[in-house]
Amino acid sequence: MSLREATCAFCGLLCDDLEVEVAGGVLRVVRGGCARSEAAFAALGEPAAPPPRIAGQAATLDAAVAAAADVLRAARRPLIGGLDVDVNGMRSTLALARRIGAVVDHADGAAKYRNLHVLQEFGGITTTFAEARNRADLVVLVGDGWSRRFPRFLERIVAPGASGAATAARRIVTVTAIDPATRMALPKGAEVLALDAPLVGLPAVCTMLQALVEGRPVQPARLAGVSQEALVRCAEWIRAARYGVVVWSAADLDWPHAELTVQAIARLVRTLNGSTRFAALPLAGTDGDLTANAVQTWQSGVPLPASYANGSVDFDPNRYALRDVLARGEADALVWVSSLSGAVPPPASGVPTIALTRADVRLGMAPSVQIPVATPGIDASGHLLRSDKVITLRLPRLRENGLPSASTVLDALLGQLEQRC
Amino acid sequence: MLTRFVGARVIDPVHATPDAVRDLYVRDGRIVSGPRDGEPVHRTWDAAGAIAMAGAIDLHTHIGGGKVNIARGLLPELGREHPLAATEVCGACTMGPAPSTLATGYRYAAMGYTACFEPAMLPVNARQAHMEMGDTPIVDKGAYAMLGNDDFLLRLLADGADRREIRDYVAWTLHATQAIAIKVVNAGGISAFKFNQRSLDVDEAHVHYGVTPRTILRELARAVHDLGVPHPLHVHSSNLGVPGNVDSTLATIDAAEGLPIHLTHLQFHSYGTEGDRRFSSAAARIAEKVNASPNVSVDVGQIMFGQTVTASGDSMLQYRNARHGRPAKWVVMDIECDAGCGVVPFRYRDRDFVNALQWAIGLELFLLIRDPWRVFLTTDHPNGGPFTSYPHLIKLLMDGSFRKDVLARINPEAAAMTALGSLEREYSLQEIAIMTRAAPARILGLEDHGHLGAGAAANIVIYEPHPDPEVMFATPRWVFKDGELVAERGEVKAVPQGAIHTVKPDFDRGIERRLKTWFEQHHTQSLASFKIDDEEVCECGRAPRLAVHACRARSS
Repeated sequence: MSLREATCAFCGLLCDDLEVEVAGGVLRVVRGGCARSEAAFAALGEPAAPPPRIAGQAATLDAAVAAAADVLRAARRPLIGGLDVDVNGMRSTLALARRIGAVVDHADGAAKYRNLHVLQEFGGITTTFAEARNRADLVVLVGDGWSRRFPRFLERIVAPGASGAATAARRIVTVTAIDPATRMALPKGAEVLALDAPLVGLPAVCTMLQALVEGRPVQPARLAGVSQEALVRCAEWIRAARYGVVVWSAADLDWPHAELTVQAIARLVRTLNGSTRFAALPLAGTDGDLTANAVQTWQSGVPLPASYANGSVDFDPNRYALRDVLARGEADALVWVSSLSGAVPPPASGVPTIALTRADVRLGMAPSVQIPVATPGIDASGHLLRSDKVITLRLPRLRENGLPSASTVLDALLGQLEQRC
Repeated sequence: MLTRFVGARVIDPVHATPDAVRDLYVRDGRIVSGPRDGEPVHRTWDAAGAIAMAGAIDLHTHIGGGKVNIARGLLPELGREHPLAATEVCGACTMGPAPSTLATGYRYAAMGYTACFEPAMLPVNARQAHMEMGDTPIVDKGAYAMLGNDDFLLRLLADGADRREIRDYVAWTLHATQAIAIKVVNAGGISAFKFNQRSLDVDEAHVHYGVTPRTILRELARAVHDLGVPHPLHVHSSNLGVPGNVDSTLATIDAAEGLPIHLTHLQFHSYGTEGDRRFSSAAARIAEKVNASPNVSVDVGQIMFGQTVTASGDSMLQYRNARHGRPAKWVVMDIECDAGCGVVPFRYRDRDFVNALQWAIGLELFLLIRDPWRVFLTTDHPNGGPFTSYPHLIKLLMDGSFRKDVLARINPEAAAMTALGSLEREYSLQEIAIMTRAAPARILGLEDHGHLGAGAAANIVIYEPHPDPEVMFATPRWVFKDGELVAERGEVKAVPQGAIHTVKPDFDRGIERRLKTWFEQHHTQSLASFKIDDEEVCECGRAPRLAVHACRARSS
């Protein structure tokens, strides 16, 4: 048994202060854990290197790679999805995509695009974790993803007394209704204002706040479900802030045209910077979404989702969204790369599927080829982008189980395809 | 394996015969003086009538790191308008003002560039910068780490820390981020913006730390000098783009107190306030000062007409200038108690008074600064224009009548306010070779680059002479990187990976004790997570090797 320092790869916070007990290859978080990381490390189980499978039958890695190459040679419109990978996994994914002319998208591409859409139409003023930790005197929390999806966000970034230059007292606004347990978790000693707005009422709340902040003649009483007094007070807090931060997780905003809500937030932030400092801090980065998009963006010049068909790259969120491509029957082979959390299995599509998954993932239906791969930060070292899109952290390997990395398998597959043409 | 290049006119300003027809020999990726006794020549390249130069070096080009990636994500339409189709050896990608990393490597190499330096690597973003540079193929790379707006240094200066401590911190940063030089951007201003200060002049105090830019500049220039880092402190001065900023630029030169400094994208810092529009050229005053200050080198940051995107660490000034941007969408970021960034698209138009005068000011600087060893050819890619416009810029410098033709087409009010029409100087090939090869190698401390003498890396560019320098420089006949043919007449032939260039000055590692506490109190990653070791940087940067250049510590 030994203790290892670890960086947790299971949400976009990438906490690098974990201590993990390694006993016979079984991992247990003993320090720096949260509900999410403890469950994720426990789910890894014993180190195992199950064999690759071809149509459900055990096979050697070489045979599986050869079978995968056969699937791709027969395909005319391949799709690569999942992309729950680290930087090198994505580098190899893109090399393959260029070779086979694939459409490429992340499993959670739709949520990611809510923020990206606003960036591409409007832009934004954003900040990062250490800035928020040291300077924010007001933190506006939207939705509940900051607690549910990013369990240590409050502790690491928002808890007052964290440190820093600015913050004698830190004010917190919870914009949308949250459950009592989450409310209890808010840092003691912070002044808290709860608006308790319904999540779907967010666009109206943001627009109203913008109007109040700008001193326009509006009737806050006319906003259903939100206390007029609280709204007016919130606008006062926002105006008075010297360094305000507004936090949301785009995954929470799961309704049509949720990008309009993100845009309303971005607009409010821009208005406020006319007189004070205020910044957005969207939370993301879980399951490799930011990593996959960043590598795609720098290597090709355009973000995800994209197509590499016909020897050129094309970005189009309407044409190349993963689930739409499958639903329209536009793919005749699917490569699913998911080495990190393995939370999202390949969608049932009826097309020949090559699945690179974690060793512990059991798929409902046997794909054409399944190849177990190492999990970055567990069975192999790797790199991931953190939520705030500036920090890339190295994930050291914690145990040995003999599995190849996704990158190794994809490179071998590419090698096969290049050999015989 | 010995390779010979026969018959080229070799323009090599470093050596005793800087311009002569002579043969070049290459063995194992290096230039050698000639065959050993009886050694056979395996391959001969007939370059009779052609011109040979060393591979070009761009010492200031934004090729790696988060802000260019933000620009790509912000402006997918620019990528869409400039597709680069796949070839036998190149992958599908896009060019445009914020090109993909792949396209950056391909196009630089096809233009005869063999080394590129990212000038604004945020220490907290260093891994990503090295990754992006790692995916920029063919060319060698290196990066300058940004300091001077990080809370740690500002705290040290506010507390009156001694010079040894500052020097150790600067050296530690070079090691931890695998950088080759130090850059300061709007000294103190990026940090001040986080405290809602909207401008910061050279002698104005940071509202929170009480430190002035002058102090930051002096102490960083001193530390870099004392450590013996070859490249002087790389300075993006205060007040970028602000009319009248000539005064703060001159004050910045004085702040160095005679120590070496490099002023980058000087064009954006050479503005007066004369005339009806309160915007004028101060290039003559700046050039006079640079000519009289042998400790100063500069690059110009020429603007080129057309659409581009500006990506800068200077969040304070990018925010201020964002209202001039086109298309009207932009990003400003505060970053991790370390730095900031701002990404603002710009469309420079020759009929626009301000843009036209900016164009003229850049050219005035090129023509008025006399010593080609101290003025470098840049557009501050992509901020003044994409690097692919360099051949056009070279033509503007070499061909006075062409320059006058363009001058006649720009905004007439601007044309009336520039001395450009009276400047008859035309750059020679020799001077172009100095400012794009020999001088950048020398000022970066790359002893085996920028020349064609024995021992140099076999980075060789063979040009076909042409009456139009733009044609000649846009598509060299052959480009060799470490002896391998990588491009022919604009077409990429091979895609090797380049080295990473760094420096590793000696320092007292005791500074890490203080840094460890600082990281625990203020940062959101550990000191251990922050540092990048040699093995990791080669993995991130896909580099076959790390080229570590010598530092010669100086006491002061």
